[in-house]
Amino acid sequence: MVNIEINGIKLEARDGAMVIEVADEAGIVIPRFCYHKKLSIAANCRMCLVEVEKVAKPLPACATPVTEGMKVFTHSPKALGAQRAVLEFLLINHPLDCPICDQGGECDLQEMAIGFGGDVSRYAEGKRVVTDPDLGALIATDMGRCIHCTRCVRFGQEVAGMWELGGTGRGEHTRIGTYVADTVDSELSANVVDLCPVGALTSKPYRYSGRPWELVGRPGISPHDCVGANLRADIRGKQIMRVLPQEREEINETWLADRDRFAYLGGRSAERITAPMVKRETGWQATDWDSALTFAAEGLKRVLDVHGPSQLGAWVGDTATVEEAYLTQKLMRALGSGNVDHRLRQVDFRDQEQLPAFPYLGMAIADLERLDGALLIGSNIRKEQPLLGQRLRKAALRGGQIAFINPRAYPFNFPVSQQIVAAHNWVTEVAAVARAALALAGEEIPEGLPEAEVGEAHEAIAAALRSGEQRAVLLGNLAAYHPAQTELRAMAALIARSCGAHFGVLAEGGNSAGAWLAGAVPHRGMAAQPTAVMGRDWRSMAHEGVKGLLLLSTEPESDCIEPLRATQALKQADFVVAINAFASDAARDYADVILPPALYLEAAGTLVNCEGRWQSFEGTTPPPGEARPAWKLLRVLGNLLNAIGFEQLSITDVRDELAPALAVGADNQIPWRVPAPPSFEGGIMRLVDYPIYSVDGLVRRSAPLQQTRDAIAGAVYVAGATLTQVDLGGADRVRVMQGEGEALLPVIVDEAIPVGCVYIPAGTTATAALGGGFGVVEMTHA
Amino acid sequence: MNSMFRFLKSLFLLELFGGMRVTGRHFWRKKITLHYPEERAPVSPRFRALHAQRRYANGEERCIACKLCEVVCPAMAITIESAQREDGSRRTTRYEIDLTKCIFCGFCEESCPVDSIVETHVYEYHGESRDELLMTKEKLLAVGDKYEAQIAAARAQDAKYR
Ligand code: SF4
Ligand code: SF4
Ligand code: SF4
Ligand code: FES
Repeated sequence: MVNIEINGIKLEARDGAMVIEVADEAGIVIPRFCYHKKLSIAANCRMCLVEVEKVAKPLPACATPVTEGMKVFTHSPKALGAQRAVLEFLLINHPLDCPICDQGGECDLQEMAIGFGGDVSRYAEGKRVVTDPDLGALIATDMGRCIHCTRCVRFGQEVAGMWELGGTGRGEHTRIGTYVADTVDSELSANVVDLCPVGALTSKPYRYSGRPWELVGRPGISPHDCVGANLRADIRGKQIMRVLPQEREEINETWLADRDRFAYLGGRSAERITAPMVKRETGWQATDWDSALTFAAEGLKRVLDVHGPSQLGAWVGDTATVEEAYLTQKLMRALGSGNVDHRLRQVDFRDQEQLPAFPYLGMAIADLERLDGALLIGSNIRKEQPLLGQRLRKAALRGGQIAFINPRAYPFNFPVSQQIVAAHNWVTEVAAVARAALALAGEEIPEGLPEAEVGEAHEAIAAALRSGEQRAVLLGNLAAYHPAQTELRAMAALIARSCGAHFGVLAEGGNSAGAWLAGAVPHRGMAAQPTAVMGRDWRSMAHEGVKGLLLLSTEPESDCIEPLRATQALKQADFVVAINAFASDAARDYADVILPPALYLEAAGTLVNCEGRWQSFEGTTPPPGEARPAWKLLRVLGNLLNAIGFEQLSITDVRDELAPALAVGADNQIPWRVPAPPSFEGGIMRLVDYPIYSVDGLVRRSAPLQQTRDAIAGAVYVAGATLTQVDLGGADRVRVMQGEGEALLPVIVDEAIPVGCVYIPAGTTATAALGGGFGVVEMTHA
Repeated sequence: MNSMFRFLKSLFLLELFGGMRVTGRHFWRKKITLHYPEERAPVSPRFRALHAQRRYANGEERCIACKLCEVVCPAMAITIESAQREDGSRRTTRYEIDLTKCIFCGFCEESCPVDSIVETHVYEYHGESRDELLMTKEKLLAVGDKYEAQIAAARAQDAKYR
């Protein structure tokens, strides 16, 4: 500890702290542009000059470490004079176009100019003119306003891990831009909009549409991945104008992924309906709630009377809130059916009985950046959970050994110690690491562990998992989509156990943990309690058929890993109630009634993230038109079907019922079981994932996100050698057959895809006609 | 004594003659009444009446949708929505002044960085319904087009005091 004095106030400071940090903690204002607590120190704007006793010249507070007995003056005539001079220089080339600048009203430069600037301009010479680079669909540029603080450059280098923006030229000729004309494609890119202290980088979708003083900020939680990032929705009237991050050090720090930030624009899609719709003989009709809900209840009742409760089922989207998932399963179980499932992207449910109460990360999110060793099995963490990827990147840059065993190689933005690409033999590759880990620990090889040849890479991974303080084995989303999920999970847990590492799961949906705890699984009730009736998982419902289906916030034609099977089951059902804000063509085809719920940010709810953290939020704006919170719709459906326990008057009543689930502790014990992995013999293997901007209905409809490079098109990505192997060399379109489905898809040659495999993304319209996820496909000429 | 004095005052109609004296004095003076509408009082260049939106000489609307007038208006009479026009400039898609709310303070004019929203000297307008007193962007621009000469002259006259 060091004793210093700022403006005569005695303060204690940490050794090595910078003057500006100490002043910030004490609430003493020092103007600044380039300093940001999450970025490295550049000290290039010179706005933070302060006077230090016994030093002849003013010093930059952001780059001056404290020393014992230091006396700092931030408001002395000398300091103020220096600040005024710096500001005058910064404003020389500034276009002074505040009235048309989106930053106006929340601009650091405006504030500094008022607080520390002169009051008249003495500059009458010509100003610099700069061209504005096109950075893509998310970020608008007005580079004339740039003050070269390099926050955006440092963010790209240090946090996003993509050196996309940089400075060229010197002095007055410095330009910030992409070195070669290119867009900015990082999944965290729009954070530079918040970082830029002036209006040089602003949000393109928000461009010119609002002013900060007319917006009301209301807190919310992002439902698009299992992080549960805290955000702030800025509302004008009843419209969401933009979404900004809310600082929450233990979850999202000060960042927000582009997906969390721009997903709300999906709510403006033309497919959004704001009044309930009923399918009659004459076609679809918009109607009022009374008749729509009665129609829905009567339809479900008919199924119940004719076919019995076992023919009734519910599919819950994994972004639905805990309350909604809970009421859905309660309704199904009150009607005598256990058929309720939210795991629509999974195919393998063999080990469901032995699983913990919810998919748990095994540690706090903030601990990810302190890992010394990690093995991720089946994860493209950077695109699946961008903010967790960013934490893991910090661990890797600190020297952590991060290894992956993935079906295909993904580009990561941090040093990866090992990336084993195992398309056909994923299970054996993981088994090899398990064997290496057991050998190092000197433990018995458990019964049934698949034979595998232990190579150097496997040994290195196992060794890295045994050294250092904090280690973890994490099971990613790709493992969840895979038919050998059970084996992968059991072996991952085994590796973690033998190495003394944490075992964790990166859940695939925004509220997977909440849906598990709410009981939206066929074999367990709320809070993982046993249920009276054992239900069927979604896949058996889809394959064996159900007569009545309730869909909650999901579009099976894109969300389900077997889209074709799912839509066929829906079409064959007698009655389908869709609680969904969007009336897509597919939904109009299979549903009998569509009840529009409020979207996220429009209604209250709770999401549970991968740490098991419950985060409740209120609606930020009323839903448009007749749309109503989904929990209310479910409650009225319950009443109309005479189900018991649907008397909740407010969402807090629903939350009160969930108290036992809240009390469930996190636990990640996965017992060993003898694996029986499925085999993929012959043919070409399809590799699958849900691209970052195809994960849910809202994201899929967000126009700006769909214009980015990460919006992966439904196509066949394949290595040239594979194409020649099946005599399709040079084809630009092929017919792909998988299961009962087939689709005509464009071919994109991508040498990163292992030979003998094709990568076909899920969650896109083009691939909705295919029969499954990971599996064997056939390809012929178009 | 007092009642005696009052009696004499009313007997000789003293108060009536006092009044007649005032009447008589003004009867011969120069008249200040105006025969409105044939005659009109002069107005100051700073006179504040019906609003207008101005254009530049090339026909381009001045307003850049900065929303300063909207936020400064103490009566909350102004409603603006803005967006990017195809040519990339910042423009209003909706600009309305509710004259039933406006208190003619002139703050909107003061705040405008491009002299777009102004108050003209037109005080003879009426509306038979609220709708007619809701000035839309089109109406405001039309007022501006019609009275541009007068608006510009008034600004020029006042310029040296600004
Ligand atoms: S664009 Fe903004 S953040 Fe980047 S250097 Fe310029 S002022 Fe700083
Ligand atoms: S004159 Fe005053 S009250 Fe009327 S619109 Fe302008 S600012 Fe508002
Ligand atoms: S202040 Fe002037 S430029 Fe700004 S919105 Fe109002 S009229 Fe338009
Ligand atoms: S904030 Fe210290 S030099 Fe920029």
